[in-house]
Amino acid sequence: MADDSPASHRRDPIKSSVGNVAAQRRRQNAVTVGKERRESLVRAKRLCRVGPSGDGDVPGEENDMVTDEEGFLLDAQTSSAVEDLKSAIAYQGKGAMQKRVNALRELRRLLSKSEFPPVEAALKAGAIPLLVQCLSFGSPDEQLLEAAWCLTNIAAGKPEETKALLPALPLLISHLGEKSSLPVAEQCAWALGNVAGEGEELRNVLLSQGALPPLARMMLPNKGSTVRTAAWALSNLIKGPDPKAATELIKVDVLLDAILRHLRKSDEELATEVAWVVVYLSALSNFATGVLVKSDAILLLVERLATSNSLQLLIPVLRSLGNLVAGDSHTTSTVLIPGHEITDGVIKVLVKCLKSDHRVLKKEASWVLSNIAAGSIEHKRLIYSSEAVPLLLRLLSTAPFDIRKEVAYVLGNLCVTPTGGDGKPNLIEEHLVSLVQRGCLSGFIDLVRSADIEAARVGLQFMELVLRGMPNGDGPKLVEQEDGIDAMERYQFHENEDLRNMANGLVDKYFGENYGIDE
Amino acid sequence: MAMVVDYKHDSSFPYWTSIRRRFAPDSPFFSSGNIERELLAKQVALDLTEDERNQLEKMIDNDARGIFCPIVGCDARLTLLEDFEDHYNARHTASCSVCSRVYPTSRLLSIHVSEAHDSFFQAKVARGYAMYECLVEGCDLKFKNYKGRQQHLVDKHKFPTSFEFFKKAHPSKKQRLKNQRKRAVNKKDEEASSKMEVENEMMEGLVSAVSKLSTSDSSPSTVSFGRRNARGLTFVPRSVQPPLQKK
Repeated sequence: MADDSPASHRRDPIKSSVGNVAAQRRRQNAVTVGKERRESLVRAKRLCRVGPSGDGDVPGEENDMVTDEEGFLLDAQTSSAVEDLKSAIAYQGKGAMQKRVNALRELRRLLSKSEFPPVEAALKAGAIPLLVQCLSFGSPDEQLLEAAWCLTNIAAGKPEETKALLPALPLLISHLGEKSSLPVAEQCAWALGNVAGEGEELRNVLLSQGALPPLARMMLPNKGSTVRTAAWALSNLIKGPDPKAATELIKVDVLLDAILRHLRKSDEELATEVAWVVVYLSALSNFATGVLVKSDAILLLVERLATSNSLQLLIPVLRSLGNLVAGDSHTTSTVLIPGHEITDGVIKVLVKCLKSDHRVLKKEASWVLSNIAAGSIEHKRLIYSSEAVPLLLRLLSTAPFDIRKEVAYVLGNLCVTPTGGDGKPNLIEEHLVSLVQRGCLSGFIDLVRSADIEAARVGLQFMELVLRGMPNGDGPKLVEQEDGIDAMERYQFHENEDLRNMANGLVDKYFGENYGIDE
Repeated sequence: MAMVVDYKHDSSFPYWTSIRRRFAPDSPFFSSGNIERELLAKQVALDLTEDERNQLEKMIDNDARGIFCPIVGCDARLTLLEDFEDHYNARHTASCSVCSRVYPTSRLLSIHVSEAHDSFFQAKVARGYAMYECLVEGCDLKFKNYKGRQQHLVDKHKFPTSFEFFKKAHPSKKQRLKNQRKRAVNKKDEEASSKMEVENEMMEGLVSAVSKLSTSDSSPSTVSFGRRNARGLTFVPRSVQPPLQKK
């Protein structure tokens, strides 16, 4: 795992100040974040800079600063390190094991130095077959650890580099077993996590080679970095899009217990990775969703949302809750019953997320609320009378676009009755009138003005509710006041036929020749 | 994207229905949360400047969405969704100096000006020349009357039957009452109606201008820069023009 604790600084003061200068220089030179760096930042793969036992270089600015010259040097050193490893493996005499470990360690250091390790050079020099040999059964732990570490970082980069690990996979998987030492198992899990993070194809290979059960077992202990790494690797392994792996995982004996235990009691770093496993379980597998809904999971997720302030943890916990609400109608109909304590708890934590500074939390909390608001009339009343509505109204006028769109769904859902059997929804006039009086119409008309098809559609649908549903025929006047006619007339020349028809239909029906005559 | 199934009633407007929306884990909906996860895990979040962060988000958003201007015939790529408003105001609000109607291209504007405000055009129409051009660029067909062109647009170019190139303006309340009375009194036939509309337009414009000089009450409270705001004339003396606010 990337170094989470800043406490393990082993640099002396002189180096630190050099580091700061280097950082400044980097910022001055790189005005924009380069494409390669951007891609490496958002990948689902992670470089291992610090080993399980704490050794290795602490990631720092002076280490990351690799100029072109230094890059060439690094490549040359890497090639020669691979050569050294080759001869160390061939060597049969006294001290052979130490020779091998030293050669591996040297290669590992070169592959851990910077944000962009010399993977290409290592592969070209033929590192993979040598590393595979070093993973053979019966090898000493140190050797296994260093070899797995090298493979981890080779797999952390570009797709073709990750794919190069194919020959090593069966061995890496076998060292996940309970007979392996914990640091070795953890390092192998890390390497496999990177491989799984590459894409569907490699995930399928890993699954067919039986990677899931041993990784799942590694989640059973109560704590430790091994549990965390295994959880992260699993989240990459089951992320689909095929739901098979997710379903298989939830069926593993006592795994559900372990997940709930971690959600309930573990520290935030570990709970974060476990929560991501729940995210994928609930997003992909209906079976898993059903199992989770019937368990204590929702209660535990709410508890975490209420007590934690770590964005890293809140994101997957909120999303898990969202997936459970979205994925199964039972969640709102049998668990989140209006009036029950758990339901109040859910609303409360969602409000907390709406109040946060973080864009992701606001957007996804609105999404969850919109799905609850798609429930029964009682659900709608519950949300309508909660603290959420004033927050939502403010977000509708001030928040970034993606949040406003979700908020629109909540507010609109509050204004119509549940979609019944005959399919015709009616208006909830009380909610509609109140929300419009509190100024939400302009926010919807802004959505009509956007270039996003879905947002425009949502805006037009709400406008229709207003035009049809405001009492005393006030709708058209209100819409006109907010420049709604203007916004709709834009659609005359819009390329989307559905939107054109919707907008034209509304204008023709409510702003035709006889508009305003009876005043 | 989530599947939203709308209920289409008799008039086939897809009414709002409240349904649950579910997203696949690789849906663009979740991408900003996924990015955040990786940035936080790599401890980079602390390292990045505000600018760098925005760039990252844009990179993912745009690769997923690739927003283009949705106005027919416009190829503009919008780097940010928020850019659309400015782009629309800059490129799609060619407005008629006579009646303030707004068109998305200068070609359509000039067609409108000929058809609605040019008596020479009307004279040629009256003599039987095919003056009404097809609105689709490159088609080049011309028709003898508005309805003929309209039919062509529907038949050949799949325009909706509800499409009206010459859409009625939305006059002020005073004007609406005046028009209603006028229509009740004067019984003009269909063929002369377009000519009538041209004259009405000019009348409306003049009357509106006059009414604006005396009172300025019926303009909307929020007005956007560059879009049609007056219900008639653009050449309104500065002193009575409503304040222009950029939306």
